Amino acid sequence: MKLMETPHISSILKSIEKPGRYIGGEYNRIMKDVDAVKCRFAFAFPDTYEIGMSNLGVRILYDVLNKDPDVWCERVYAPWTDMLEKMKEYSIPLTTQESGDELGCFDLIGFSLQYELCYTTALAMMKMAGIPIFTKDREESCPIIIGGGPCVYNPEPIADFFDVINVGEGEEVLLEICHLYIDMKERGEYTRAAFLRAASGIEGVYVPSLYDVIYNDDGTIREFVPKYDELPRRIKKRIIEDLDTVSYPEKLVMPYIETVHDRIVLEIYRGCIRGCRFCQAGMVYRPIREKSPEVLSKCARCLYDSTGYDEISLISLSISDYSKLRELTDSLLEWTDEANVSLSLPSLRIDSFSEELMQKVSSVRTGGITFAPEAGTQRLRDVINKNVTEEDLMRSVGIAFRGGKSNVKLYFMNGLPTETEEDIKGIADLAGSVVREYYRMPKEERPRGVGVTISVSCFVPKPFTPFQWEKQDSYETLMEKQEYLKACITDRKKIRYTYHDAKVSRLEAVFARGDRRLAPAIALAVEEGMIFDAWEEYFDYDKWVDIFARCGIDIDFYTTRGFALDEVLPWDIIDCGVTKEFLLRERERAYAEKTTPSCKEHCNGCGANKLGGKNRWCPQWHGKGGDEE
Amino acid sequence: MNNTPINLRIKFKKVGTLQYISHLDLVRTMHKIVTRARLPLWYTEGFNPKPKMVFAAPLSIGTESVCEFMDLRLSERCDTEWAIRSLNENMTDELVVLDAYYPETKHTDLKWLGYTIEIDTLGASADLADRCNAAFLSESIRVNKKAKLGGAEMEIKPLIKSAVAEYRDGRIYLECILSADASAFLNPEYVVKYLKGSVGILSSENLFSEGYSIFRHSAYKGDMSPFA
Repeated sequence: MKLMETPHISSILKSIEKPGRYIGGEYNRIMKDVDAVKCRFAFAFPDTYEIGMSNLGVRILYDVLNKDPDVWCERVYAPWTDMLEKMKEYSIPLTTQESGDELGCFDLIGFSLQYELCYTTALAMMKMAGIPIFTKDREESCPIIIGGGPCVYNPEPIADFFDVINVGEGEEVLLEICHLYIDMKERGEYTRAAFLRAASGIEGVYVPSLYDVIYNDDGTIREFVPKYDELPRRIKKRIIEDLDTVSYPEKLVMPYIETVHDRIVLEIYRGCIRGCRFCQAGMVYRPIREKSPEVLSKCARCLYDSTGYDEISLISLSISDYSKLRELTDSLLEWTDEANVSLSLPSLRIDSFSEELMQKVSSVRTGGITFAPEAGTQRLRDVINKNVTEEDLMRSVGIAFRGGKSNVKLYFMNGLPTETEEDIKGIADLAGSVVREYYRMPKEERPRGVGVTISVSCFVPKPFTPFQWEKQDSYETLMEKQEYLKACITDRKKIRYTYHDAKVSRLEAVFARGDRRLAPAIALAVEEGMIFDAWEEYFDYDKWVDIFARCGIDIDFYTTRGFALDEVLPWDIIDCGVTKEFLLRERERAYAEKTTPSCKEHCNGCGANKLGGKNRWCPQWHGKGGDEE
Repeated sequence: MNNTPINLRIKFKKVGTLQYISHLDLVRTMHKIVTRARLPLWYTEGFNPKPKMVFAAPLSIGTESVCEFMDLRLSERCDTEWAIRSLNENMTDELVVLDAYYPETKHTDLKWLGYTIEIDTLGASADLADRCNAAFLSESIRVNKKAKLGGAEMEIKPLIKSAVAEYRDGRIYLECILSADASAFLNPEYVVKYLKGSVGILSSENLFSEGYSIFRHSAYKGDMSPFA
């Protein structure tokens, strides 16, 4: 039954928070005739409506799939726990926003896996839809369950739950999967098994159930064994060759309720030239590919006309590295000022922050600005290849203060490889220097009430980074480090200190570096009602510890254990472009406290150039090899 | 460019699932609609310019309406037929502009609002409707202002111009005209609440078997002539 046809749905919706999450009917949503399409695709986001609606990947793929007349892509989000309880009590199934149809009647369901702690929510959504969570338990009539997004660079912890994994950018792959499905259905060749085997032939598709994993006695992986000869030994990530010609939404589904990023988001480029050694996004989204200012400007105007948003946010991993930033902002400002539309930039590098840039982005809406030095000393910043100096930071905060900003937020990480007490104290010292920089200004020029916030997260070793082998600090060590930093901060009035819960980071590390043996634990957690692990109010570390123990899983194996350099890693089955040789070289340079120049200055031979791509910084690709050092 | 700004009054309906959208979210939504519609908007001064919109008697969640009023400030006059068309091209079928005109009244001239409340309760009958009507004849009609017991009691009798219950097709239909005065606005939810307490409607805990809907359909000035 459709949600809105439920008897007295009004009583239920009036008894819960934010009923607007569940009503659908948004302006610009895509409606199609069920009988006129050949493939029904549900795009599932395993978090709340407000978060899912803000996700750029969902916006892009919803648009791409719906531009195909044979496919109807609809959206579904995780109901918040108050609604979830009502749905259980009154046996209301999980339905999509557009048609209001139950998930079970769709052909394909694609889950966007943006962060590790969404796994239980994704599985809980399958359960709500009456779909068995394990691939092996699904019957012929079950929808095909697809997983994609940044988490699938290590798909192994969730390998037993997903029929198909889409590795890399989804614009082309998802359509190919849909059309394979349509073709096999039309030719009468469709069975789940036949489809999955055929899908494994699409570049960028991993079908985990077609591989066996064999383990060594010490618990590490010995090898991945494909069940058929034709299967790829490693699954190569897909990328979009030319971002100027790939489809980008001309309109956006307009939420009635306020969402997290309720604005136009312009993706400027993919990839990153920097190579911070802890950062997974900076590695797995390579090679860098830029969009031209002309295309972006046109796109922005078109989205403004179709949405009426009064804010445009320019996003990419490091916006100031865009080679044509001035042309872009100039061409946007030609019309945005008059239309009362403001520009915003979420990520700014300290070394490229300028007065001109700050004036262009109408930053008057917030009194604050955020920078990410990540580490407290130059030594440790060199280890992580952050390539910014204290002088860069002081220059940037100086500009910010003169520009009327009084609140500066600084992001740091605790527990980075080689970190010492001196590095931790350096965080407090750096914040102190920022405060002093403020007082160095003539009194009449200062904005009122300086405040510096230090926000400290915990290092999580991530797949496909030079630090992928590193051990994570134990919980106790991380807590001691947090306490030590607190003690180092003397100016409690001007400097605010916030830190992430180390328990969360520990669980993230388990999922980030885990393997297939985690599946029973994740399934048990879902069985026992765990959901929304990413939400503080539902994160229950002790329960997770208990569940892992009951499943015979040693958390330390995935967290505080340093992985051997020659060990088969769970994510070795994926080829993200960047080679292991490059990551090893970068790891050595980290321990030697040596920085690596950005791709703009020098090709470091990461290997991602072999994937192709237009408008990139890489040297010309000659058709083979990656390491051109 | 020193045109005097002028108010355009927009009468619209907000029905169906849009009853679950809060007033604040409606304001945000309207802001985008009027932008998309390319109306000659007047923007507030300052660092963060916004179009200026004023709503009469905001709806609470769970009430549908076919007589909502919003005054939108324009920098210059525009054709009202064009404005209606342009707005409706940018709205969905549950949020629709019914009329647009340059008003002669103020929002404060709106004194009364007419509602139909449809109640699907266990034990609905002509007798139950009679008991509802009897309850409205009481000298004093008091309800708790808060959801919890022990909150401040409020006398709402003077805020009810009229209230008539009728039994039809297994349901109770309540026609009422309630105060819309800004200083003494009566939320129709209180009328339902009063009947819950005094007559015992909607007493089951099962959200599936009982329910009610509220529909705002008319607006009046102090002399009971239609507000426009």
